[in-house]
Amino acid sequence: MENVTLTIDGIRVTVPEDYYIIEAAKKVGIEIPALCYDPNLEVVGACRICLVEIEGRNKLEASCSTRVREGMVVHTESEKVVAMRREILQLLLDNHPNDCLTCQKAGECLLQAYAYRYDVKFREHDGARRPNYVDTSSPYILKDDSKCILCGKCVRTCAQVHDRKVLSFAGRGFDTRIVADADFTLEESTCVSCNRCVTVCPVGALVDKRLLGKTRVWDSHIKGVKCKACDYGCNFEVISKKGKNIAVRAKAPSEGRPLCLKGRLTTEFLYVDEPETPYKKVDGKFVEASWKEALGLDGVFEKLLQEENSK
Amino acid sequence: MASITINGKKYEVDDNITVLEACRKMGIDIPTLCYDDRLEPHAACRLCLVEVKGKGKLETSCSLKVKDGMVIETHSERVMKTRKEILDLLFSNHPNDCLTCDKSGACKLQDYCFEYGVEMGTYEGEKKDYPMDYSNHFYTYDPNKCILCGKCVRVCSELQCTDAIGLEKRGFKTKVTTPFDLGLATSNCVSCGNCVAACPVGALMPKRKERFRLWEVERVKTTCSYCGVGCQLELLVKGNKVVGVEPAKGKANNGLLCVKGRFGYSFINHPDRLKTPLIKKDGKFVEASWEEAYRLIVSKINEIKDKNGPEAFAGLTSARCTNEENYLFQKLFRAVIGTNNVDHCARL
Repeated sequence: MENVTLTIDGIRVTVPEDYYIIEAAKKVGIEIPALCYDPNLEVVGACRICLVEIEGRNKLEASCSTRVREGMVVHTESEKVVAMRREILQLLLDNHPNDCLTCQKAGECLLQAYAYRYDVKFREHDGARRPNYVDTSSPYILKDDSKCILCGKCVRTCAQVHDRKVLSFAGRGFDTRIVADADFTLEESTCVSCNRCVTVCPVGALVDKRLLGKTRVWDSHIKGVKCKACDYGCNFEVISKKGKNIAVRAKAPSEGRPLCLKGRLTTEFLYVDEPETPYKKVDGKFVEASWKEALGLDGVFEKLLQEENSK
Repeated sequence: MASITINGKKYEVDDNITVLEACRKMGIDIPTLCYDDRLEPHAACRLCLVEVKGKGKLETSCSLKVKDGMVIETHSERVMKTRKEILDLLFSNHPNDCLTCDKSGACKLQDYCFEYGVEMGTYEGEKKDYPMDYSNHFYTYDPNKCILCGKCVRVCSELQCTDAIGLEKRGFKTKVTTPFDLGLATSNCVSCGNCVAACPVGALMPKRKERFRLWEVERVKTTCSYCGVGCQLELLVKGNKVVGVEPAKGKANNGLLCVKGRFGYSFINHPDRLKTPLIKKDGKFVEASWEEAYRLIVSKINEIKDKNGPEAFAGLTSARCTNEENYLFQKLFRAVIGTNNVDHCARL
């Protein structure tokens, strides 16, 4: 593959020709803000926050979906770009609840980070807002539609595991929503609570419910661990506060790692000091389960003994 | 000793401490906004309320001394409800801008609202509407975020002894202000920033040269290098840059700092800062190693001493040195060089 050389914010950078501008910028330490972009997911160019100015082109281009070209001159923080980003952020905030005070995502929320970076604040308006529909049916995932910014990361990551594909877009325009199957609750749907969607959500629309109200990011200590349930070795994080391990959450899947509920519960059981009761989905209903059941250890010892005896 | 019961458990505690101190010693978390163990109890915020058996009303644990046989409930339904109500009232008269507020992440009002599930201020009505005071070079004051805990006023008066600020007016109109509301720049304020460090919310905030969020920074505890007192402080480090300073509780300073230690940190990352010794070669200063510099100093001292005798030397040390360093310096002059010509800048 050929290399091309381009200039980003005055810095010359040489990258393979199939790179997107956002990747080339990252190589020289320029962090272009993006809400819907994720190197592990298909590129969609939906959020428009990553817009950049390219000399010789009239309109601003989304840097996540524009390939580099030889001799290209890119400005990532020009006045025009910043004005546009502020406008987009303002529109997103206009349709977002102002509750960073108690929001579980505060501190890790990309919308909050970019609003701070570009100094955009909530404003009063009497326009319509997204419906405040909160799906509390799952003991593992809290889905709050009012906070969704429709970046679609959850839909894409869910579709990456071929037998899942639970989440999708429904409705059009202002009424667009993320739904599970045919607009079912997470409990009724075929959702397997792997929490892939939670790990990629840039805002507080999908949060880990077993973490809810336990701590804030800035109060806790986070340590990465590998799952021991199977050979994939998915990444999890153990969250501790005041020296006590209080929760385990999934880290964004990469390199083909699927994440699953069993793995998360196993990690929870191994690390958390006082793990909460696990739940199991039986015929579209979450029911309390024993740890033995949840970790799939029912009858394991009997089986092992049987094998031993039959030898 | 006093025997008291907290939340159904019996404890033996010293009899001259407050209920709050007793609870904290036992690891029971009681929320407080106006309490500071360096200050006199003020009982203004009312968040530390507890239920004491036999007393009709809830008592503020920060100002209530323990008594033998006391039975205390710190998290009963009544206490929780009252605390929630107080937080609701406070937040109802507070700007809802945690989204971009620089205090977010270290704000006690935010922490307690999260802990007690107060998601919004439910009281509608008049809100404070004062102009910001940007007049001080080092910090800003936003009266609209002030919750009137009075910590800043008390720190300024009781610990800093400057008395630059005070509370004026009554009731809803109460405000922390300077004499005649003329602004911080014209007041007695010495810009020590100890009020800023005490503020539990975002009302008093240091002016920042860098934009950062408190959860992005790493805190590095160190000793202030400005003088020999040895104040303890925390450097706020983002990436590889020092972006702020906060006082730490050390034996020498007990959470206080002066204007230099608190706000004079930008030299650390300044491009002009000397990081190696410079030696003049052919009329130009060039960077040298410490080894090279020491060698040069020793050879010059020997040269002058041989030629002119030890009385040709005089030494003056800096107040930025510690006692130990000053001791070693005079030892060097008296015992090694052989002269009593040694003095210290603080004596002048």
